[in-house]
Amino acid sequence: MDYSWVTFANALLLGLSIGSIWLIAALGLTIIYGTAGVINMAHGELIMLGAYSAYCLQTYLGVSYLLCIPLSFVIVALFGLVIERVLIRYLYARPLDTLLATWGVSLVLMQGVRMIFGNDPKYINMPQFLSSNVSFGPLSLSAFRILIIAMTAVLVGAFWYVFYRTHFGIKIRAVTQNKEMAASFGINSQRIYMLTFALGAGLAGLAGSLFAALSIVLPNMGTGYIVQSFLVVVTGGGSLLGSVAAGALTGEIQSVLAYLINDTFARFMLFILIVVFLRFRPQGLFSAGATRR
Amino acid sequence: MLMDVRNLSSWYGKTQILRDLSFDLQQGQCLCVLGRNGVGKTTLMRSLMGLCDKTTGSIRMLDNELVDVPTHDRCKEGIGYIPQGRQIFGKFTVRENILLGSFARADGKTEVPELCLSLFPYLADNLDRRAGLLSGGQQQQLAIARALAVNPKMLLLDEPTEGIQPNIVAEIGQTLKMLNKEMGITLILTEQHIKVARALSNAFLMIDNGRIVAHGSIDQLSDELVEKHMTV
Repeated sequence: MDYSWVTFANALLLGLSIGSIWLIAALGLTIIYGTAGVINMAHGELIMLGAYSAYCLQTYLGVSYLLCIPLSFVIVALFGLVIERVLIRYLYARPLDTLLATWGVSLVLMQGVRMIFGNDPKYINMPQFLSSNVSFGPLSLSAFRILIIAMTAVLVGAFWYVFYRTHFGIKIRAVTQNKEMAASFGINSQRIYMLTFALGAGLAGLAGSLFAALSIVLPNMGTGYIVQSFLVVVTGGGSLLGSVAAGALTGEIQSVLAYLINDTFARFMLFILIVVFLRFRPQGLFSAGATRR
Repeated sequence: MLMDVRNLSSWYGKTQILRDLSFDLQQGQCLCVLGRNGVGKTTLMRSLMGLCDKTTGSIRMLDNELVDVPTHDRCKEGIGYIPQGRQIFGKFTVRENILLGSFARADGKTEVPELCLSLFPYLADNLDRRAGLLSGGQQQQLAIARALAVNPKMLLLDEPTEGIQPNIVAEIGQTLKMLNKEMGITLILTEQHIKVARALSNAFLMIDNGRIVAHGSIDQLSDELVEKHMTV
């Protein structure tokens, strides 16, 4: 393989795309963890559900792919709402139990989907224009990856706006800072937790509908994404800004190392770098600053 | 009658803190809750806000029974809470802190009220400053402003002058007097400074060991009572 600045720039561009994928997978996790302190082990399976939602919508109802993306958000958000109401809401005071409970949920979901759809991979058809390559001078990237980067940017922007510029955002952040005082001023923290969980689940669903088209749809596809998502959340420190930075950084490191050596080595090095980083900065890049729960 | 409390008992976990408290409060009164540290003054405030693990008895406010109403609905009855240690949202700006108070307004007007700005010019000039950077006295002003944004009929003030430098204590005393006498807002406050209590309130409750041991109008607060229940 020859190394040149063009291929290197292409690796950087690809890193941006990898980072966006990891970030979009981690966004929902960030929001749930940052607000309610719940470590949602079922996040990967919610991504998987999003992928299957998109698959079902497209295969059985003939919905166009671009419409499947928001619909997957809605379907998985509703699903998250149900999980929150019947299970998670009893566990907010016991973070370690949420870890186990959500892990249980993840197993149930994975096995449930396996029973319904079987173990064979499913495929999603995407519109022709998304599978083409787009060139910027000597650089090129598939249109679909560009869609993901754009989507990530839009979602991060939307979430920044909701969290920092709306009354709902003030309420969420108030509950995170001081639940009792938030309640004393009329904020129903249970309702806020419920909505954030649904929102986070919906984001996982949306991510799943994108990943469905990126590769194949399998019952255990969530496991890979959850590791990546946790990496981003933990490295970032649990805040939105932290996740954005961590997503971009890890994506670039992965892509550049993969370009210089190979994929497996890149993965290996990335994990080592993160372990070393967390040894010296356990609170992550940008700590949400809230008390550790 | 604005508030009528009957047989109020309160627990943290399995430990009972308050035992059978009964008192009532007229519109426009200022009631001072007195007692040593640890006798249940703060618990009384928290019970009125619904922040204790278990509370029994009756809290009636303008004929609404509040004892089983969750905290986030109580403030909508017009109760503004200024807790011990102020507990402002340190990561929020001054503006966000006050806005948050206005979420509890019964009429749904979510804006920074003019009153807060005119009462506390420092806050008005620093609306975009992070609340965590304010001094203790400024934070207390912010806590009062936040509670006023609720448009309250009644303010609960838990040790409003604790840990604040003397010249600000007088200032806060003035503000509270104005709110009570001119705006007609009913006050319940706990206070260690007996002087501030006497100057401000027209009724008192003396609590010892979770029970009311004396109550009456403020001129009935004799030095003997203070001696007996407040000196350590």
